[in-house]
Amino acid sequence: MIAVRELTKLYGDFTAVRSLSFDVGPGEVLGLVGPNGAGKTTTLRCLAGIIAPSGGTVSIAGHEIQREPLAAKRALAFIPDEPHLFDYLSVEEHLRFIARLYGVTNVEERMPPLLDELELGEKRRALPGELSRGMRQKLAIACGLLHDPAVLILDEPLTGLDPGGMRRMRATIAARAAAGSAVILSSHLLHLVEELCSKLLVLRRGQCAAYGPLEEIIGAHPELAGRSLEDIFLALTADAPAV
Amino acid sequence: MSAFLYLVATTWRNRVVARVRRARSPRYAAALVVGALYVWTFLLRPTRGGGALSFLLGQPTEMLVTVLVVLTLMGSWIFGSDTTALAFSHAELSILFPAPVSRRALIGYKLFRSQIAVVINALIWVFVLRRGGTDVASPLRAIALWVLFSTMSLHRLGSALVRSSWREHGVAGRRRHRWSILVFAAVGLAIIIAIAQGWTELRFAGGPAEFFRTLGRVLARPPALLGLYPFLLVVQPTFAHSTAQWALRIGPALAVLALHVVWVLNSDTAFEDAAIEASAERARRVEARSRRRAGTTGGPRPATGTIALAATGHPALAIFWKNMLCLRRTAQLRVFVGPIAIAIAIGAATSTGAAEPGDIFAATAVALAGMLLVFGGRLIRNDLRHDMQHLPLLKVLPISPTHVVIAEVASAALPMALLQMVLVAAAYLATLNSDLVPMPLAVRHAIILAAPFVILGVNAALITVQNATAVLFPGWIRLGPHVSTGVEALGQNVLATAANLIALAIALIVPLLVVYFTIGPITEPSATSLTFAALLASAVLALEIYAATRIVGRAFASAEPLEIE
Repeated sequence: MIAVRELTKLYGDFTAVRSLSFDVGPGEVLGLVGPNGAGKTTTLRCLAGIIAPSGGTVSIAGHEIQREPLAAKRALAFIPDEPHLFDYLSVEEHLRFIARLYGVTNVEERMPPLLDELELGEKRRALPGELSRGMRQKLAIACGLLHDPAVLILDEPLTGLDPGGMRRMRATIAARAAAGSAVILSSHLLHLVEELCSKLLVLRRGQCAAYGPLEEIIGAHPELAGRSLEDIFLALTADAPAV
Repeated sequence: MSAFLYLVATTWRNRVVARVRRARSPRYAAALVVGALYVWTFLLRPTRGGGALSFLLGQPTEMLVTVLVVLTLMGSWIFGSDTTALAFSHAELSILFPAPVSRRALIGYKLFRSQIAVVINALIWVFVLRRGGTDVASPLRAIALWVLFSTMSLHRLGSALVRSSWREHGVAGRRRHRWSILVFAAVGLAIIIAIAQGWTELRFAGGPAEFFRTLGRVLARPPALLGLYPFLLVVQPTFAHSTAQWALRIGPALAVLALHVVWVLNSDTAFEDAAIEASAERARRVEARSRRRAGTTGGPRPATGTIALAATGHPALAIFWKNMLCLRRTAQLRVFVGPIAIAIAIGAATSTGAAEPGDIFAATAVALAGMLLVFGGRLIRNDLRHDMQHLPLLKVLPISPTHVVIAEVASAALPMALLQMVLVAAAYLATLNSDLVPMPLAVRHAIILAAPFVILGVNAALITVQNATAVLFPGWIRLGPHVSTGVEALGQNVLATAANLIALAIALIVPLLVVYFTIGPITEPSATSLTFAALLASAVLALEIYAATRIVGRAFASAEPLEIE
């Protein structure tokens, strides 16, 4: 569903991401973790088609995003950590706009349950400026989920959500994966990653420090056996040669 | 204040360094060279006849400029002003407001920051006007312009503070500022009475030049003079013809400026009471609320009413639909006040001696259409000049970059062209039976037939240029829904408008050649051949615009959010 090969992104002399390769199949949830500045957001932006890679390929649902950007983008939803919304469109208008762009013909049927699920039903005519941070995040999530994407890319999706919203979001991610979507989840909340992800990609300084199911990663690093994910993360992202 | 000075100094240094660093990119480097050449040609190139607009200094324009100043300031009272000097950034709110800093020190800091823009603007105008055949040295003229622009800036800020107090205190606020309100109402009334008294003279003035001379004379008499006098005092040093005259005039102008400083600082107390408590959160809410209420620098109006959007169809129409809602919720009527006022003056001036109200109306409508054709594209920004702020969101959408650019350009070009077409059509209908229009009826028919295509083409060309600038140089230009309208931005706006017109002139070379080769050989072209030539030229222009949107589309596809962030 998602196939990344030798992905590299340069900013002048600075290498933000170097030779990254990984796959996420249908129903899989990949946890993308790494310290600040490791290249997580840059990687996600390359995958979402927001920035062009300097090298390598990204394939989304069988479409290479550089060669067939529209087909690839139709299959994916990107939910960034900071909700990007049009400040002059109401909640409902955001969904209608997204529906038109992604060809969701039954938007009138899909909108009410989605808004209720995300507790936005009473705010359907509100502008983003009238919403709290958490509500804006929920609206960005609603926009992402409206067209039932085959590929879901989430960058710190729980930021700004209340405990109830966090629980529902976790359930939503799990449900989307169970329904066959390929999910990439970037987060510093390691318990969330541990709970939801079927495999991990640990980034350090733009390179892959570890990749695979947690058991495989521990298998490759026997000294990490029995330690918490936090300890594993800190050990893998400490200054040491990348794998 | 030393912390504020440090903040201002480092902010500007870092901003300049960041912009210079961008010039390492070939695209920005090329733009820097072109921009430098443009500024040199337009402003700095030694000329015998003075600067680009030096003719203004050779005319009896003091009074007319004073009226323009008053109208501008009236606009800020009626419609609310661009409260740039009041609007604190999120960083300022979250760091400075909880800090142990007095409210007056904060306002002083904002005034100081606005002075940087005022000074730059004054310097631009010194070069625009040059010496214009007078003996006043450029530094003295710069001081005169600084006094003028500072007074206007302070006046707009004062009016914003007063309006803020009205909102917060209702009747009590109005009572507190009754003198400010009464003074301005009296000035407006004095101008209206003077024009009414001089109406006969104005109506039968012999031509546009004589009309404006007469208007100057009418306004230089009581009661208008009494109302305009404080503002005339501020305008006069700029138009001084000698150093001695400048020296005589600058004192009173500085006194008016000082009065404005006192007024604003006193209004600040009211604002302090009204607006911001110690908490930064409260300040943020008040700022957001006041921005929304005043319809000034910030948020859109509440989402009352919408425009229907079908669930199926070309995705580009969804972008257009979104931008129409943007226009509906963020448009600022006050930006049209200036063009309308100038169009009325031009309309009245060009139809002097006309007995028919239809002729005066038609002249005004055509003048306004012409002004909107030249400046309209800068007045509304519901296109990529606003949407580049949402670049990451737009780039995720499954729509081709060229279609995004076309939809964005159409979003601004179509409404503006429609407005101009309505004005031209109204002028056409108003003068159908008039004998005063200096062209045959058949030619007027030809113009009205071709006008929609020509108007749309020219608008689209101008707006494509501005969108291209936003896409190619997002790190250098101001992005957002609203045009900078304060006096602080007057000089930059003049430079930008002139640059846009030069770009349009280049775009029109081929279409004009088409017109020349179509009707050039004909001694007296018929209405049909005129229409045909105009339509052909519009088609060529449309092709040029399409080619440009493809290029801009490619640039949009490779644009990086980091350039904006």
